[in-house]
Amino acid sequence: MHPTKQFTALLRMSLAGIPARLGLICTIIVGVTCAVGVLVAMLAMGVGARREAMGNVRADRATLLSADAANPQQSSIAKDTASLIRELPGIRRNAHGDPIVIFQATVFVQARNKTDGGLTGFPVTGATAGLADYRPELHLTSGRLFNPGLRELIASNKCTRQFTDFEVGQKRHMRGGDWLIVGNFDLGRTEGVCTVFGDSETILSAFGRPTYNVANLMLQSPAAFTELSNAIKADPTLKLQARREAQMAEQNNAQLNGILNFVSYFVGSIMAIAATIGAANSLYAIVDGRRRELATLRAIGFDGVPIVASVLSESIVLALPGAVVGALLAWAAFNGLQASPLGASFRLAVTPSLALLGLGWALVIGLIGGLLPALRAARIPVTAALRAT
Amino acid sequence: MKYLPLVWSGIWRKPGRTALVLLQVAVAFALFGVLQGMKTGVDNAVAKARADVLFIGPAVFGGAPLPHSSLDRLRTIPGVKTVSFADGLLGTYQKPNQFVFALAIDPGDEWMTLVPELVTFPPHSLEALRKTRTGVLITTDLGKKYGWHVGDRIPMNSALKQKDGSGTWTFDVVGYLTDRELGQDNLMVMNYSYLDEARLLNKGTVRNLYAIVDDPRHAAEVSAAIDRVFANSSNETQTASFRELSQQQMRQIGDLNFAIRSIVGAVLVALLFSTATMMMQTIRERTAEFAVLKTLGFTDRGVFLTIVAEALCVCTAGALVGLALAWGIFPYAAKFVAGLSMPLIVIAIGVAGAVCIAVLSAVVPAFRAARIPVADALAGR
Repeated sequence: MHPTKQFTALLRMSLAGIPARLGLICTIIVGVTCAVGVLVAMLAMGVGARREAMGNVRADRATLLSADAANPQQSSIAKDTASLIRELPGIRRNAHGDPIVIFQATVFVQARNKTDGGLTGFPVTGATAGLADYRPELHLTSGRLFNPGLRELIASNKCTRQFTDFEVGQKRHMRGGDWLIVGNFDLGRTEGVCTVFGDSETILSAFGRPTYNVANLMLQSPAAFTELSNAIKADPTLKLQARREAQMAEQNNAQLNGILNFVSYFVGSIMAIAATIGAANSLYAIVDGRRRELATLRAIGFDGVPIVASVLSESIVLALPGAVVGALLAWAAFNGLQASPLGASFRLAVTPSLALLGLGWALVIGLIGGLLPALRAARIPVTAALRAT
Repeated sequence: MKYLPLVWSGIWRKPGRTALVLLQVAVAFALFGVLQGMKTGVDNAVAKARADVLFIGPAVFGGAPLPHSSLDRLRTIPGVKTVSFADGLLGTYQKPNQFVFALAIDPGDEWMTLVPELVTFPPHSLEALRKTRTGVLITTDLGKKYGWHVGDRIPMNSALKQKDGSGTWTFDVVGYLTDRELGQDNLMVMNYSYLDEARLLNKGTVRNLYAIVDDPRHAAEVSAAIDRVFANSSNETQTASFRELSQQQMRQIGDLNFAIRSIVGAVLVALLFSTATMMMQTIRERTAEFAVLKTLGFTDRGVFLTIVAEALCVCTAGALVGLALAWGIFPYAAKFVAGLSMPLIVIAIGVAGAVCIAVLSAVVPAFRAARIPVADALAGR
């Protein structure tokens, strides 16, 4: 008989035997379900965090920082370089013909949580004129924008949900004075962390800060970034560096994502190892239970290779439904769930690519778990097995 | 006692199977140990955090830091026993991603009484730091990481500029400090005087103030009093005790408990399924042997207990191996979660869990084996 024919016959026999070995088979499926379910659910945190961080990123936006700064907090841009920056090439102009550049300075203030009354830091960003041109996704849901020169703030709707005293008309006490909330807004596709904007000059003087942190600008096109950064490199007196918005968002998110992914793969691997061992043990038991059957098949001319292949296939066929169930459970239980580990806040996202990754892991669990039992199945001593009672 | 050899031979009847079950139990409990250790590590950190040490920072980060003269105002507030302060310098060594944080302190006696349970200095190191303006004390981990020894001169780059506009700071290693929980391999301690004299901006300011209250029960009132004193000045403060701060941190990682419980739940369910099936399988294969035992005069109870004892031995042994594994990898995991620990309670819970799993998975098969009708079993029916 042809080896492939032998293989199909063998596979059909092992699948037909499933109802008789339900306990052992459930062990494989449950083990894989738990391992894949946990892995997918945990990786969904990393995916959710990334989605949140990258949601509003546009290819035609860039940020300028001082040359030696590793992040916006360390960066400082003197007020007298502002006019030089406005003249840089590659910057888009608004309807009035002015370059779309806003200078920002960020300070961190504390706010009181609505739920438990605890204090959490939130950023207040002072921005120069042109916020609406630079951030078209900023959509006021109530009130108006802040006026220059006044102690006025606008707060994202995330703030109003999370903290006290962020509704339009409410006052916040900062730096020896009251600041009036004049607007609430949504930010495009993601709500991110609580975001508060005010007038840059008012905030700089109130908080005793001499310089801006960064300059944010809109490019004529994504390709204009090269022109811009070449112009910056050509003028060493500026002492600036240009970064794309995507790069800034990635950098912001890198540490959180690194931790989340490390923990996910760490826990996932350990669970996969346990599932592999469980699968191997069950398959050993299954193979042992079929000693006479397999020995008979060898005696009537079946080859070792198709037997190995059939046991491996059985193992994979049993592991895959486990992965599907695991991924589905993770999706049903955790997709869209609000999580806030390590101070971040985002919704878990169970995506098809995560489910595929889970299937891949199940495949590997099935293959490794099935390997040794398959080899034993092929090496059953025919005469001894047939003679045994 | 006479059952022991019987249990032993039962366990090793199929060495391969038992080894795999042992391994699986060990892996599952290693994960349990690590996760539970993380949780208790965080809980312990809160419980151990000092309630009598207040941390006073500017109410606004990114605004102007607090002036050094705040210390004198702080001393006058009723309930404050000792005050101290710290500043810092974040630098990189050789590569832009090799961060080292230099904690800048006044190496006087007040800092020493602040958090001796976290950072300790041998007296001679402290003396050396006082004598050398550019001196630093390093942790042994930091020394190992970059090959630094006492007497070495270390250049460090920082975004913080010196008076001459340079961002390069030079330090002399003069001794070691013992750091129990903080930065491990990226922390060193420098003289505040060096930092403050050399820096371009923010001269005469400090990053944080610390105050020890005379009675931890009054911490909240003293905190409020401190913030009131600085309110409406150009340097508003935010004061909280270490205990309160670590409770805030706990809230931030609040989902941790839920995640850990879910994972441990999934692990134990999968494990229980596996061990139960294996017990069932073992008993099925050994039906004839149990019938023989009963023929020889073993009671139903004897057979039942033998089987349960087998499961108990395998599961607890596996669990102990797993918990030992977890304990062994704690020093490596501590890089991610500070203060990881495995108190006896975790080991006790782990062993109790193993016992539960053993009993749950063995009780049905054992009951069935104990009730075997001898004649049928021996006849192979």
